[in-house]
Amino acid sequence: MRQNVLLKIKLWMMLIPLLCIQKQLNAQNQSQVVQGKVTSLGDNTSLPGVSVLLKGTNTGTVTGIDGEFTLEVPSGESVLVFSFVGFSTEEIVVGNRQTINVTLSEDITTLGEVVVIGYQTVRKEDLTGAVAVITPEASKRVSANSLAESIQGLAPGVTVRNGGGPGEGASIDIRGVASFTNTNPLYVIDGMIADANPTINTNDIASIQILKDASAAAIYGSRAANGVIIITTKQGKEGPAKISASAKYGVQQIANRWDLMNSAEFAAMQRRQYENSGETIPSSVTDVNPEIDTDWQDEVIRTGNIQDYNVTLSGGSETSSYLVSGSYFKNEGAIIGQSFDRSSLRVNTKSKVGRITFGENLLLSNSFDRSPGDGNPFYDMPQMLPVIPVQSDDYISATNPEGWGIGSIDAVTYAWNSVAVNSIDSRRANFAKLVGNAYVDVEFTDWLYYKFNAGVEVSFDHVKNVHEYGVWRFNAPDYPSTINEERSRYSSLLFEHTLNFKKELGAHSINGVLGYSQQSSTREFTSAGRSNLMVYNGRYYKTIGSATGDAVADGGIPVDYSIYGYLGRVNYVYNDKYLLTLTARLDEDSRFGANYRQGFFPSVAAGWRISEESFFNLDKVSDLKLKASYGELGINPVGSWDYTAFINTNPRAIFGPNEDVNVGSTQARLANPDLKWEERVVKNIGIEAGLFRNSLLISVEAYDALSKDNLLQLPVGGYLGNLGGNPFVNAGSIRNRGIEAAVTYRSYGSDLKWDASFNITTIKNTVEDVGNRGEGIDYIQIGNTRTQVGRSIGEWYVLETDGLFQSEDEVLNYTNSEGTVIQPFAKPGDVKYVDHNDDGTINVEDRTFAGSPWPTLQTGAQFNVSYKQFSLNAQFVGVFGTVIYNDVRKVLDSYQRTNFRADINPWTPENTNTSDPRIGLDTEQGIIDNNLGNTDRWLENGSYVRLRNLELGYALPEIFMDRTGLESGRLFISAQNLFTITPYSGLDPDVTGNGIYERGLDNGNWPSSRVFSLGVQLEF
Amino acid sequence: MKKIIYILLAGCFLTTACEKELDIENPNEPIVEAFWQNANDATAGVNAIYSTLHRGSISRWMPFYHIIRSDVGRSTSPATDIVNNMDQFLVTDYNYGNAYGIWNDNYVGIFRANQVIANVPSIEMDEELRQRLMGEALFFRAFFYYQLVSLWGNVPLMLKPSTPNDQPGTSSQEEVWAQIEADLIAAAEGLPAVYPDAEDLGRVTKGAAKALLAKAYMQQQDYTAALSPLEWLVEGEGSGIYELTSNYRDNFLIFTENNVESVFEWQFSENPTEFTDNDIETPNHNYGTSIAQFFGPSGIGWSDGEAHRWVVREFLNETTTEGERDPRLEATFLYDSTDVRGPEFTMIYGQTFAQRYGLENNRVWFRKFQNDHWKDGEGYRSPNNWRYIRYADVLLMYAEALNQTGSTGEAYQHVDRVRQRAGLALLSDVMPGLSEADFLEQLKHERLLELSGEGHRWNDLARWGDLGPELADRDPGFLTFDVGKDELLPIPAQEIDINPNLEQNRAWR
Repeated sequence: MRQNVLLKIKLWMMLIPLLCIQKQLNAQNQSQVVQGKVTSLGDNTSLPGVSVLLKGTNTGTVTGIDGEFTLEVPSGESVLVFSFVGFSTEEIVVGNRQTINVTLSEDITTLGEVVVIGYQTVRKEDLTGAVAVITPEASKRVSANSLAESIQGLAPGVTVRNGGGPGEGASIDIRGVASFTNTNPLYVIDGMIADANPTINTNDIASIQILKDASAAAIYGSRAANGVIIITTKQGKEGPAKISASAKYGVQQIANRWDLMNSAEFAAMQRRQYENSGETIPSSVTDVNPEIDTDWQDEVIRTGNIQDYNVTLSGGSETSSYLVSGSYFKNEGAIIGQSFDRSSLRVNTKSKVGRITFGENLLLSNSFDRSPGDGNPFYDMPQMLPVIPVQSDDYISATNPEGWGIGSIDAVTYAWNSVAVNSIDSRRANFAKLVGNAYVDVEFTDWLYYKFNAGVEVSFDHVKNVHEYGVWRFNAPDYPSTINEERSRYSSLLFEHTLNFKKELGAHSINGVLGYSQQSSTREFTSAGRSNLMVYNGRYYKTIGSATGDAVADGGIPVDYSIYGYLGRVNYVYNDKYLLTLTARLDEDSRFGANYRQGFFPSVAAGWRISEESFFNLDKVSDLKLKASYGELGINPVGSWDYTAFINTNPRAIFGPNEDVNVGSTQARLANPDLKWEERVVKNIGIEAGLFRNSLLISVEAYDALSKDNLLQLPVGGYLGNLGGNPFVNAGSIRNRGIEAAVTYRSYGSDLKWDASFNITTIKNTVEDVGNRGEGIDYIQIGNTRTQVGRSIGEWYVLETDGLFQSEDEVLNYTNSEGTVIQPFAKPGDVKYVDHNDDGTINVEDRTFAGSPWPTLQTGAQFNVSYKQFSLNAQFVGVFGTVIYNDVRKVLDSYQRTNFRADINPWTPENTNTSDPRIGLDTEQGIIDNNLGNTDRWLENGSYVRLRNLELGYALPEIFMDRTGLESGRLFISAQNLFTITPYSGLDPDVTGNGIYERGLDNGNWPSSRVFSLGVQLEF
Repeated sequence: MKKIIYILLAGCFLTTACEKELDIENPNEPIVEAFWQNANDATAGVNAIYSTLHRGSISRWMPFYHIIRSDVGRSTSPATDIVNNMDQFLVTDYNYGNAYGIWNDNYVGIFRANQVIANVPSIEMDEELRQRLMGEALFFRAFFYYQLVSLWGNVPLMLKPSTPNDQPGTSSQEEVWAQIEADLIAAAEGLPAVYPDAEDLGRVTKGAAKALLAKAYMQQQDYTAALSPLEWLVEGEGSGIYELTSNYRDNFLIFTENNVESVFEWQFSENPTEFTDNDIETPNHNYGTSIAQFFGPSGIGWSDGEAHRWVVREFLNETTTEGERDPRLEATFLYDSTDVRGPEFTMIYGQTFAQRYGLENNRVWFRKFQNDHWKDGEGYRSPNNWRYIRYADVLLMYAEALNQTGSTGEAYQHVDRVRQRAGLALLSDVMPGLSEADFLEQLKHERLLELSGEGHRWNDLARWGDLGPELADRDPGFLTFDVGKDELLPIPAQEIDINPNLEQNRAWR
């Protein structure tokens, strides 16, 4: 390359005199000498080696080491073309200038970009499948515990819902939910199939590709139905050793709190409540102790922080490269007792010997997750009564030696004292993990490569639970102190042989891969524990050995399975216009019975690059491609041996004067031997366009994915005496349809550069079959949700409310068609329900569909602008049309044994203009009915628009670099989740729900924290 | 160069062990086909049946349905589902989880028993042991059906190990009772009257089978048939095995379990390391019962079930021959005067009643299977054995059977044994010569005082035909009792949904 350039320069030198001569001959045109400097827009550094060409000729030069050039041009009308790999090309009319300084911006087109699609890479323009590419620059701006959390809103078709807590992963669905049992995508990290949970450091990521349709994902066959996320980590680059370092510190806050009553307000309201129901007012209310006014949210919420430090050393020569990075991440949660930290080390190396390349990518990580062993403070903080102190001598008893404030018969609440839980019960989990791969790549010829890839994931987990003596809840059972430790080892080994080929024959271009893959995974655990911890001088000794009570041990191998796969893909391109991709995978899986272990997963896709056609003549459209694909994918959500029945040896019988424990054995669980993969048939069509020299990129995709043979644990008769979960049956079916669109506009001026991206996602989730559940039953009822054929998973199915009864007459006149009073126990101010079946009573038969937890529209938007040294980045997330069940509000607004929201406005005969029912005790049937859980009273609109992240950056000026020896440097401040616009009354509408069926349930979901961070990135 | 490539390739293929391993054995549990080979397997299979009694629905919720739903119990739980379903007769949902749980767990026991009954006959083993193990399995199958028929009436009869596609039809109550009788008669044949080895203490005996058989006959008002097993227990071999403890309360203390009065006792033990009631999830499950926590007085336990005050008053109608209060009252209830001197002296788990609740509190809690006699708290792991059939119950059953078959005169002596132990005057002295009907009325009173809170009240009321809204005078929960309907629970609707061969109980259709 370099030699070629030199050669060019030499040739050009020889040509100059000739040109001069020619110009002199041409009297009309006066030649002139132009000089100037080419710099990079981003950091203002000078760019050497930029080609400067006289348009329409072969005449030109390249910039020198300082980025400067000199060129003689024939006239002022001459146009200079500045081009450089990786940068946008600039054309400039010389005019009468003698000095032309040019700033090149980094290339904004995606042409030439390669995309990893599993076992090979293809040029983006040759892509026929649906693949979302997320740049780590965008995902890293968010302070996140896991990769999934960091990509919310960045790609269409990818739904991320945040868990929120330290060390808690986010829930991620790709193109809806197509399984009743497992919706997790497959993660492939540097060729190793391993979960990218919070134990994986996200700073090392170089690229993220999300395979969404069958054409893209079929190469992963039986594991690809929920989509595939391919993560590639950074590699060293040729050149001297480079050190880059970054540090980020952020404070983390719970942005919203419940606005609750203080003890005086609470006492007044509760007095009213008891009076209304004619009950004796408890002494905690009649004699309020003015010294006790506990704000439980203050006691439990704290300012958390997030710290993230990284150092990377990288470099390489022509034949080898290395990258070593160390990182430390810590999240001190915004709730007491909750924290997560992770230290990790990555070593990626690559060496080439002749035709053979050896390489490895290895991550070692060690994480600690600390939390109380039990409970969810987001339920308990708001509920707990302000008249109860955190701790007081008055509460000391045999079972509560430390006097934690809990409910009592004078101040009844069953809410947990979260401060006590944190003190008494602790859990510490440690995950020591190794994930990586090693490979050998052999180049047989220039078109045929062989690769052997060995991947490994080994995780050593240690979970320690310590329960000191004491209670944290009124009437709680008495337990001895205990300690329990569980150690487990997960290991997964992957071996793959692949043969890649790539051949161009005239207008025909063909490439592809053939391969064999096998992966075995096991998990084994041992656990041990003992009761009665030793205590001396008030200090607990927290080892099993020092405890004095009964010992317990357990252990086993709950997971042990293997998958073998044969895979192949051919990409054929004719004339850069017509694209065809054929993919297939044959998998064998030990988790099925012998007759059902094989599955075949084919796909076909085609593309047409219309813009390459000669008839295509739209100047403004630089690139236009149509594509379509069809394919079948699989997913296996069952355990290692679910297809067989076993003898369970856990039952125990007690006999003898010493209460000896005798082993019992029995078949507990029934099994269905005919299990097989869930299958998903995916159709995808798409259009990709680049306009205005690809400064405007548009991509639209539409898909229809039908999953069949979904594994369901269909209920079996209780008369079978089955335990341990209903046996699996391949019986369900779900369809997901949707449209995804992404638009990006980039404008890279010399000083001002900006780009904006916007994406939208629609998902229409339709249940097609829920298996045979009996006569007339085409639904799965879980809690207050009903997953019914023809509707989406987990729609709300509840009673409909119709305001409040305003008078006794209204109660009596509220009758069915036969004149039966529908709610005879109701009083004025009670909730009125709709008697849908007109049977004169309100019961479960009156429930109706009342909303869906599925958004009608999901959007993401990113905006980047930089001016000189400054850059500003904003990420927005918008979710519309979700209906959320606010279970925490249900607890509060039921008014029973709980604190009250400060702004409740209960109905009274004088105060009728309110939607809050009358306040009373649930000793009255009317009050019980007001608080029924299965009503739309607790449903709320969960739409929101959130400023997910706002970041202001400052690139250190060159003058600073010169003085410090820095290569580059950048400072930034950011605000995450700065504001959210939502009608939702809970803490956060971004809820993960409770499993697949209750995805819209806010059961005390940890709200997305607000984080203000300060960071620095340096390169030496 | 080429050589290196070949070596590499060969190495790669060899190390990755290309032979496939798709038959991976479960190292944790044997497959069903590998089991039922010898006497140990048979014994373990039987032990698993006993383990069913530790499961939460049986050890906790089933007593609620027999005690709290009857006229002696009530619930003021904030969990209104308990109040509606288990105290009143407001079935909120035909699939109500706690009722469904009882249904399921009884069938879990039946599945376990059926596995033994199907597999043990073909095992080569000691014949006497086989007979005994078969007897235990048959006893329990009958026991679980006894519970099912008492609560639901017409239920499917599963008599073989279950398979996923079984679709049994409904059997009538008569058919279920007949099966119970047949199983218990066969069980009594195979079971020993006493176990020679102390380590078998707590296993079911011939006497237990006879007593349960008598209960089964009596529930069908077949008092004549009931006489025979009861005779064995009271007049025959059983008379040499069983007697009443001298101290009534010994039947409710953890220190005097499996005593001479115990005919069939559910064995519980505290497992301090348990974390679940699910006995197949882990060996570290709860083999105590959580009922004590659920019956525990306010401030100690959940108080989800408690007693009616009227029962206390029943005890006060008659004093002992010494002029003192019936000592069974103190053993039966915790209330303001468990100590006869009143709330200032009545100890409730280490504090006086007055300290805990003041002087004006009228609540009454069941005491029998609580643990206040040895600790000041409760928990989910009560080791206190549930004395399900006591000899006192057998004596009163015998008296009832005799009375109902025209031998009222002979019946007195058996009631007197029970009264005498309590220190009361002999019935034959204070109420001699009662008519059959009057004797039955008195017997109802005797059973109430002797057996309250032990789980027999519901069946007693059912047998006597006393279930009805008239009971609302003493238990307002019965206001909502629908005669002809609420005697039985609705079969869980889901069972019928997935198996069209099943029928709902007529009144619940």
